[in-house]
Parts: sequence; structure tokens; C-alpha cells
Amino acid sequence: MGFNYLLPFLLLSLLVADCASRPLYRLPSEAKHATKKPLQTSRPYNLAHRGSNGEFPEETAPAYMRAIEEGADFIETDILSSKDGVLICHHDVNLDDTTDVADHKEFADRKRTYEVQGMNMTGFFTVDFTLKELKTLGAKQRYPFRDQQYNGKFPIITFDEYISIALDAPRVVGIYPEIKNPVFMNQQVKWADGKKFEDKFVETLEKYGYKGSYMSQDWLKQPIFIQSFAATSLVYISSMTDSPKLFLIDDVTILTEDTNKTYAEITSDAYLDYIKPYVIGIGPWKDTIVPVNNNRLMTPTDLVARAHSRNLQVHPYTYRNENQFLHLDFNQDAYQEYDYWLNKIGVDGLFTDFTGSLHNYQELRTPLPQQ
Amino acid sequence: MVLLTKCLPLIWLSLLTVCAGRTLYPLPGKEPQTVKLPLQTSRPYNIAHRGSNGEIPEETAASYLRAIEEGTDFIETDILSSKDGVLICFHDVILDETTNVATHKEFADRKKTYEVQGFNVTGFFPFDFTLKELKTLRTKQRYAFRDQQYNGKYPIITFEEFIAIARDAPRVVGIYPEIKNPVLMNQHVKWPGGKRFEDKVVETLKKYGYGGSYLSKKWLKKPLFIQSFAPSSLVYISNLTDSPKVLLIDDVTMPTQDTNQTYAEITSDAYFNYIKQYVVGIGPWKDTVVPVNNNYMIAPTDLVKRAHTHNLQVHPYTYRNEHEFIHFNFSQDPYKEYDYWINVIGVDGLFTDFTGSLHNFQEWTSPLPDTSKTPRQLLSQIASLVLPYAKA
Repeated sequence: MGFNYLLPFLLLSLLVADCASRPLYRLPSEAKHATKKPLQTSRPYNLAHRGSNGEFPEETAPAYMRAIEEGADFIETDILSSKDGVLICHHDVNLDDTTDVADHKEFADRKRTYEVQGMNMTGFFTVDFTLKELKTLGAKQRYPFRDQQYNGKFPIITFDEYISIALDAPRVVGIYPEIKNPVFMNQQVKWADGKKFEDKFVETLEKYGYKGSYMSQDWLKQPIFIQSFAATSLVYISSMTDSPKLFLIDDVTILTEDTNKTYAEITSDAYLDYIKPYVIGIGPWKDTIVPVNNNRLMTPTDLVARAHSRNLQVHPYTYRNENQFLHLDFNQDAYQEYDYWLNKIGVDGLFTDFTGSLHNYQELRTPLPQQ
Repeated sequence: MVLLTKCLPLIWLSLLTVCAGRTLYPLPGKEPQTVKLPLQTSRPYNIAHRGSNGEIPEETAASYLRAIEEGTDFIETDILSSKDGVLICFHDVILDETTNVATHKEFADRKKTYEVQGFNVTGFFPFDFTLKELKTLRTKQRYAFRDQQYNGKYPIITFEEFIAIARDAPRVVGIYPEIKNPVLMNQHVKWPGGKRFEDKVVETLKKYGYGGSYLSKKWLKKPLFIQSFAPSSLVYISNLTDSPKVLLIDDVTMPTQDTNQTYAEITSDAYFNYIKQYVVGIGPWKDTVVPVNNNYMIAPTDLVKRAHTHNLQVHPYTYRNEHEFIHFNFSQDPYKEYDYWINVIGVDGLFTDFTGSLHNFQEWTSPLPDTSKTPRQLLSQIASLVLPYAKA
């Protein structure tokens, strides 16, 4: 008797199940790494500085995806923290130059003045906004002479979101996150269990399986460089992760934020010998490697030679296509600048705002061996 | 004995001549041309717009020499006239933007206002200065964002000096002079024998042996394109020389200075049918070939297609490296722009301010056939062929 009621229901269920259910294929992003085209390691690294920010607002998802599309070896980012301790991708400690925070009247009272690296700075600071609040802001292109059409369209992304962009790429793409302003972060944000900013940083990397020393099998599957201007942070995390680290070096007049050392000190032979066990390379500002006078290059310093003699890589920043950033020796031609740095100076990686141009140059001049 | 002392000065002079006199070798510039690397004709022409003016003030000897060094196919110039009828290389109708005339107090009273192509222009006009006076001026870089270090160093050069630079080049380099503002020139300068500006231009070219139709043997020895915005000038000189001519086309809003015709008229099929008897190509402003909106290019027009069906070459102007001149489609990258215009639009020559960059692009993406290479270049080409198969 009950069977009469059950049968149509049964048939209906079978129909629905057959027509609407999904076959149990894996999601593409969960496919094995073994099928992905590996990282190239035979020519200097193309480091997409804040993503392809020549074209898109910096550190947004589209900027990173565009960089991957254009052939970047590594996508680079700066890690800061929100008020509630969530690690986000953002370069400036304040939101004024790269977001539409000024248009958000609900946040008008959040304007503050803090001391950052010895200077007073006024603005809207990331550490005064929860992640939820940050997500209501729209990123904008920092430079007025770059494409403004995406202003206000894309949000700030988290460290986790950035990592998933790299992991979901159709080929192996490395990440290059910076432990940014750790002194300031640790001053303004407190994490549970007494953890520091650096601890949370490494925790996130471990969560996604980043490990292995430079050029190890683990590393080649998920390439990474950890960068920072603060040597103490790099030394601190060296006991937590064997991922390769890079020591960033600012302009000749700027002191290190954590140890108050001068440029001369941290580029001395003694210091390079000291830092060498902890890092695989240095990341200097390019105009300190080859000083500039009246917008023309002068004689190169010996910094690259001294780094190389200690087996330290050199990844200078930052290469940009616009003429105001190109010294006259290069005839307003970014490719001539790449040529000089790759072939004359011989660096091992370049932080560039124009991933596509660097990739183009390298493909034309130094194409990879065919698999 | 007396004879000897009398001859002593003679002997001394003879000794001097034998030891210090120059042997009678011909000057390098006068050597026969057959040893020179010929003009390439297998890929679009690299036309050095006003020389390598991205680096050195425009239309100076130095900027032309630099362009030749950087690999240009043709050096381009604009011909105007001095007060005494000497043909000079200069682009603007006034001297203010590209020379230091303002610092020459002796010329302060030469400032005038004239009507040029329907507009009143005030400044120092080259046809109010004799050549001798023009030669006391020094050129400067027009754009503030380009290298200023050569300002005040180089003079204006004459058409003949320009031709000499091309002739003396170590390989065959073509010239691309423009009959510039002929209406204005003929209004303000009179030549003897009732000759016009156009007559003097052709006279000069013939004096140096330029002639022959496009790709003829004679032309390949001394390549030349004559360009002008004034179609009637090109038609006029077609009786005087069979050298190839190119009709320049200004922006969509500008009528021709001599026939007052609109852009639409002179780019119509009917007009192409007419003008192709006189010219081998057209030189349009690139933003009319592919229009632009909000600094992004929109759909290309059919101008290039139609020109090509009439067997007319297309040489657009002007390609510059600076980001303010590059549309956003190209990500501030001039090489991407070259790639688009050469490979997607398919033009036959490009007027560029940055000869070196265009040459780089062409050498890397469309290197010339081997017969034009030196052994060293061949070796490096072989190496680059082998490299992709090297062990990873």
C-alpha cells in the first residue's frame, strides 16, 4: 500500500539525482602540482612588484592575476595587519594614497597621527580598521599618470587570498611576501597567546605548505622568498622556517627600523658576513647600486660584486617604464634599462611594476630552453 | 757652390713636402658606394623622425648621426627657407620652441605675427633671418622631459649639410625630406628666375644625384622619399623628378593648406585613385588610423586596408617612448606599440623619435636575412638558434 506513495517519490529522486548531481571530479585547483609547468630557474627572476601595478591598482587580485598572465615568476606583496590581527596585502601603513577611504564618511573620525620609523605620519591607518571595514574600501591607482579606470572597483585582499591566487595559477608561480613595518605592527596590534606579527606571518605560510630551502624539491613545488627591511625579523623567523629569506636595503640616508643601522653599516663586508647565514640575498634600491647624477648613471659601486662573492643574490627594486623613472642613459627605453641591469650589472632578479615588459624582454633576448 | 746655396730653400721645401705631405688617398666620404651595406627592404622602414630627437635636439647633425648609428633606414627632415632663400632643416615655422633665439638681443625686433594655415602665429620666423644669422643661433631640446644637456650646443643645418650626412654614412642610409609649409614659403621668399620653393628642393636633390623610381637600381643607391602635406606641391614636382613621394595627412579636423580639402575627402577611395598616380604612399597621424577614446584605442578604421588595395604604402607618425604618448592598451611599453602597428595593423614604415628602440624591436623580432649580416652577426644568430635545444 505505502509502496504506491513511495514509488513516484523514488522515481522523482532518481530523476533529480541523475540530471542535477555533479560527477565527483576534483576541482582544478586541487589537481596535483606535478602537471603544472615548473618555475624557470635559468635566468634572472621576473618579480611582479605589487602585481602588475603599471596597469591595475597595486596589490589587488586582478593586479596579481594579470602579472601571472603576463609571465611573472613571483608575485610580490607587502604584509600588514588589520585592527583585528588579520594579515592583509597592502604597501603603505596608511590607506590614503591607494584607497577611496577619504570618500567613506563613516570613517572620517579615524584619522590619526602616528610615529612611523622616526617620522610623524597623519592619515587613516590599516591598524585602526577591522578586516570587515577594510573590505568596504575600494583600491585606487596610486599614480595619476597610470590607468584610472579601475579606481574603486577592487578591494584589499588578505594574505590568505593572495596565496590562493598563486596556488590556483595554471603554472607554478612563486610568492614573495614582505614582513612590512614589523616594529609598527607589533606596537599597534596584539595577537592571542603573545604571538608576534612575525609568528602569524610564518603560521600562514605553514598552513599552506610553504617549506623547504632554496631549490629543494619542496621549494620548487611552492616557491617563496620572504623579504624584510628588518633584519631582526628575518633572524627571528629563521628558527621557524627554512624558506629562503631576502634582506631589503633602503636608500643611503635611511636607518633600519629595528636596529637603527646606517646604509654603510648594513652593506659593509662585516655585516654581509653576519647576515649571510640567514638570507640567500639582498634587495637594494637600484640607485644605491649605481648612483645617479643629473639623471645619468655614474660609476657602479661594488655592492653586487661583494654580494656575489658571498653567494648572495641581488634583487634590486624597482623598475618602471615611465620616463620619469628612467635615467637618460636608457633613452626612455625600459628594455635598455633591463639590458643594462641583466647583462652589465648581472643581477639575479628584478622587482618591476611592468611584468609584461620584462617578460617580453627576457623572452626575446634569453628564451628558455624548450622542454 | 753658389748654385747649392741658391737651391737650398728649394731642397728644404722638397724635403718638407716629401716627409710631411699627405698621400693622395681619396677621402672616405668620396669612396665608391658599392662597398656599403645596402638598404634593407624586407621589413617596415625605420624612419628617424627629425633624427634621434628623443636623445638629441631635433634636426641637428648630431641627432642624425646618432640615428644612423642606431640603425635607422631613413633620416627624416623638414625643409624650410631662410630669408636669402637657403633651404634649411627645421620643423616649426617659428624659432621659439627649439632655438635660443630669445636670448639673442640683436634679433629682438624680428618678432612678427603672420597668418599660417588660417591661424595667427607670433614669433621669430626663419624666413626673416639670413642663413648667416640663423647659424648664430643654437638649438635646444623641445620637450622638457628629454635630455637638456645639449641645449645651446648645435646649430641649425642646411638641406645640403643634411644630405652630406646621409651620403657619408658607413652604409646606405635614405633621406626623407618634407616640403614643409610651401604656401607660406612661396609667400615670403622669392627665388631668382621665378623659381618656387618646390623647384629649389628638387634642384638640390638632383645636384646630389637623387633620382629613380621606387626600388630602381638608382633609387637603391640613394634612397629617397619626398613627403608633403600639400598635394599640389607633390603633383607639381612629379614633372621634375620620378623619386617616390608620400602624401602626409593631418588630423581629422585640419584641411589641406593648399587645396583646402577635408580629411574625409583626401582619404576617400576616389582621392586615392587620383593621388596614387603621383605618390607611392600616405603618411597619416596614427590616432586617425586607429581612433582613441579615454586613452584607449577603439576599433581601427579601414584606412590602411584601402590604401593597400590601391598599392599605397602607409607610414604613420609619430611613435614616441614616453608614457604620455603611449595609449593604455600598450601598458606604457613602446615595444608593444611597435608590435601592434607592425604585426596587427601592418604598416610599411614608422616615423619614430626613438630610432634605437624601433631598431631593437625589429632586430629581435624580425632579424634580416643572412646575406646582410657580418660573420659575427651570423655566429650570434646560429648561437641563438641552438640555445633553445641546449640541455635545461
